[in-house]
Amino acid sequence: MHELALMAGVFDIVKKYTAELPDKKVTRVTLVVGELTNAVPEALESSFQVYAKGTNVEGAELIVRRIPLTALCVECRWEGKVEEYTFICPKCSGLGLEIKTGRELYVESMEVE
Amino acid sequence: MEISVNEGILDLNERAASENRKLFDRHGLLVINIMGSPGAGKTTVLEKTIDVLIDSVRLAVIEGDIYTSKDARRIEKHGVPVRQINTGGACHLDARMIRKALDEFDLENIDLLIIENVGNLVCPVEFNLGEDIKVAVLSITEGDDKPLKYPLLFKESAAVILNKIDLLDFTDVDMDSLRRDIRKINPVVDIFEVSARSGEGIDDWVRWIIKKVKEKTE
Ligand SMILES: Nc1nc2c(ncn2[C@@H]2O[C@H](COP(=O)(O)OP(=O)(O)OP(=O)(O)O)[C@@H](O)[C@H]2O)c(=O)[nH]1
Ligand SMILES: [Mg+2]
Ligand SMILES: [Zn+2]
Repeated sequence: MHELALMAGVFDIVKKYTAELPDKKVTRVTLVVGELTNAVPEALESSFQVYAKGTNVEGAELIVRRIPLTALCVECRWEGKVEEYTFICPKCSGLGLEIKTGRELYVESMEVE
Repeated sequence: MEISVNEGILDLNERAASENRKLFDRHGLLVINIMGSPGAGKTTVLEKTIDVLIDSVRLAVIEGDIYTSKDARRIEKHGVPVRQINTGGACHLDARMIRKALDEFDLENIDLLIIENVGNLVCPVEFNLGEDIKVAVLSITEGDDKPLKYPLLFKESAAVILNKIDLLDFTDVDMDSLRRDIRKINPVVDIFEVSARSGEGIDDWVRWIIKKVKEKTE
């Protein structure tokens, strides 16, 4: 359950961005979470509630934007979705697949009012 | 009002990890982060590894555990410097905890630092410590479905130790399919089949470490 630790990171960022807006309420936080991360959306949601309670984020909506796992073949330049975590190029069977997307773990935006 | 942010949730840890890494590089120190489920055999593998390595490599150990210092006491008996980190509830070590523990070591006179992370297949791999190499320990009694269920650890690891092969006859594990799944996720990974109980396979694994230490210290 490291989603609590991840959420501590999210709230550090949220605080930093609202430090100069003390009378504002945060109404939405959008996270971007890649497929090849170990963050479970449901656990993120419940950790979000824990951290938001009693702060200017309480009641805000959490949006988790999931990003699929995609890769680029360094040999034949094939690019596409990695199925079942198989890092073998479906076109040339090459083993040099470079991850393009799917490792994201960041706060994209917030809405305050 | 919409505020655009685009900041990584793990940025703080990543920065601390890269500071650690600079320190390790400056001292020509190879650092291995060992991860795996509770009871996979991380400490037992480490004990066997130390007994073989101790004459040829100057090594030290950091033991990560939620509350106890049992593993550190086991390692101590093998005659290497060891530090215990208690995470106080957290399911993983992070880079700042490592930084603090480093003060206790004479880094200039160590070639290899092995960190045993908190027993957990999921969380530790997300938190870089500044290590050179991640290693996964999976005991075959955990079942052959684990790599595809927890792919990130196997993707990020340079080596996977399949431990407890002495118990093969008592399980329904399909070793071919287990190896195939690991290589699917990580085609360049080195796989070692060992029994930390009997010592079988430990020599190959230790040779691999020695090679990595040489590459780093040369
Ligand atoms: N049969 C057999 N038992 C083993 C082997 N390796 C470890 N064990 C046993 O498995 C149990 C757990 O081993 P540990 O080395 O403590 O496991 P660990 O991964 O360090 O566990 P945590 O630190 O609690 O996460 C112990 O009872 C060991 O004796 C092995 O190769 N074969
Ligand atoms: Mg242990
Ligand atoms: Zn290809």
